[in-house]
Amino acid sequence: MTRDRETLVLEREELSPGIFSLTLSAGEDFLREAGPGRFVQVEVSPGPFPLVRRPFTVNRTDAGSFRIVFEVKGRGTDELSHLTEGARLRVLGPLGSGYRLLPGRWLLIGGGMGAAGFPCLADRIDCGLVLLGASSASRLLEVGGFSSMCATEDGSRGARGLVTDLLDRVRWDDFSNVALCGPVAMMKAVAGRLPDAILEVTQVSAEARMGCGWGACEGCSIPASGGGYLKCCSDGPVVPATSIDWDLWEGV
Amino acid sequence: MTGRTWSLWNREFDSPVILASGTAGFGFELMDMGYLDGVAAVISKATTLRPRKGNPPPRIVETRFGLLNSVGLANPGVEEVVTRILPEASALPVPLIVNVAGETEQEFASVVEMLEKSPVPFGYEINVSCPNVSEGGVAFGASPSTVERVSRLVGQTSSRPFSVKLTPNEGSITESALAAQEGGAGAVTVCNTFLGMTVDWRTGMIPLERKVGGYSSPALLPLTVARVHITCQAVDIPVLASGGVSRPEDVLELLAAGASMVQVGTWLMRRPGSGAELRDGVLELLEDVSP
Repeated sequence: MTRDRETLVLEREELSPGIFSLTLSAGEDFLREAGPGRFVQVEVSPGPFPLVRRPFTVNRTDAGSFRIVFEVKGRGTDELSHLTEGARLRVLGPLGSGYRLLPGRWLLIGGGMGAAGFPCLADRIDCGLVLLGASSASRLLEVGGFSSMCATEDGSRGARGLVTDLLDRVRWDDFSNVALCGPVAMMKAVAGRLPDAILEVTQVSAEARMGCGWGACEGCSIPASGGGYLKCCSDGPVVPATSIDWDLWEGV
Repeated sequence: MTGRTWSLWNREFDSPVILASGTAGFGFELMDMGYLDGVAAVISKATTLRPRKGNPPPRIVETRFGLLNSVGLANPGVEEVVTRILPEASALPVPLIVNVAGETEQEFASVVEMLEKSPVPFGYEINVSCPNVSEGGVAFGASPSTVERVSRLVGQTSSRPFSVKLTPNEGSITESALAAQEGGAGAVTVCNTFLGMTVDWRTGMIPLERKVGGYSSPALLPLTVARVHITCQAVDIPVLASGGVSRPEDVLELLAAGASMVQVGTWLMRRPGSGAELRDGVLELLEDVSP
């Protein structure tokens, strides 16, 4: 059940400059429901400001704990990056609807911090290949233990270029499911180049500026393919790629 | 328990906390999470005659000390509300007040007329902050005579009590409150969000698609306290305070300023368990001062 809980920071790690992970204590009831693609709303400060919580996908779950990974982008993530082991943190979750864990081989396509949810997902599916893109090697979140290809804009790891450049090397017949997560511009570029049949089986983990995170405020809307809007927090964050109006979506 | 009660429209509540329109949906999500404890009543999102998709995103942006929103009254329209949502809302453990918005004076009454078919609403909250399309988009709340006419139209249609949610952005809040009372309102909500905007001075970019939005923040509390105080001096009907509540102390301050009940909105987004947190805090504080 979704609850607002006080967690304990068990471990803080700086994965690379400006990218941090926090391992937080969690009970069985939370871990049982914190499936791939679901997220938590973290109260970044005990004081009133920053005012609303910040959403983070579940990166990994372990016995008695789970992990979030983030890049310092603004006030909220900056506050979080300064927490130390033993600090208390209020966490609401698990929230949203995650990936449908369908049978068949999966292709994971991630851009930058968008790959933060992949470790949790890859462990629970038949993960055939992971494609990752980032500005440089230090911005790349690797998904250990799986076959992968990567592209960096500065060429510091893998191919020089964008993750879309890797798509030509994919044998699409090998895959019956795709997970796509990253900055909106990157996801638009990828979605625009996926074969139609593959887009049909693609699940997108979306992002938006969020208010409540639990479906009430309608702040986190994403243009829907049938007109109107999806609520990123409760219709998603994981939605079928075909449910998004890719032309209208401009993202965060 | 101190046995303290608060009342509105002939009903007694063991909490003074009402969930403000727009931040609680219709209450279902909070019910599912078990967070309606301590809540006296839920005020729904705005309901309009026709469905509204709402504004294009981005709809919210956080500023240094508050939140700007421009959701645009997204709602499925009153017919869907009456046939699909309200029947489910009968399962809520607390009363539901339906917030009503319109584009013309008559539209408020038309929405209420449809809502009257449902046994579920405890009352209505009439949002006169929305633009009056037939008057060139000026808010209904800008003119006391319009507020009075809307109140009278709603009153003639409704078998239930209603509160008129006043705007702090145009006109005089006391004149508007008096007009609502004259028109038959059973309460006034003081008040709505403050018109605000933020702009990135480096790029000139304005983050909200609609540029301006409603500003809310715990830092606005004194603005609400003042408006509640002057409104309570002017009218005899109950005043529902709304704006800036984040602590039990804030609830007690607004009650001390004259409010009958107190709404929590933006802080509910931060703390979905606000109902019980505020109610329990209020009861504890009251016990401390009157042992």
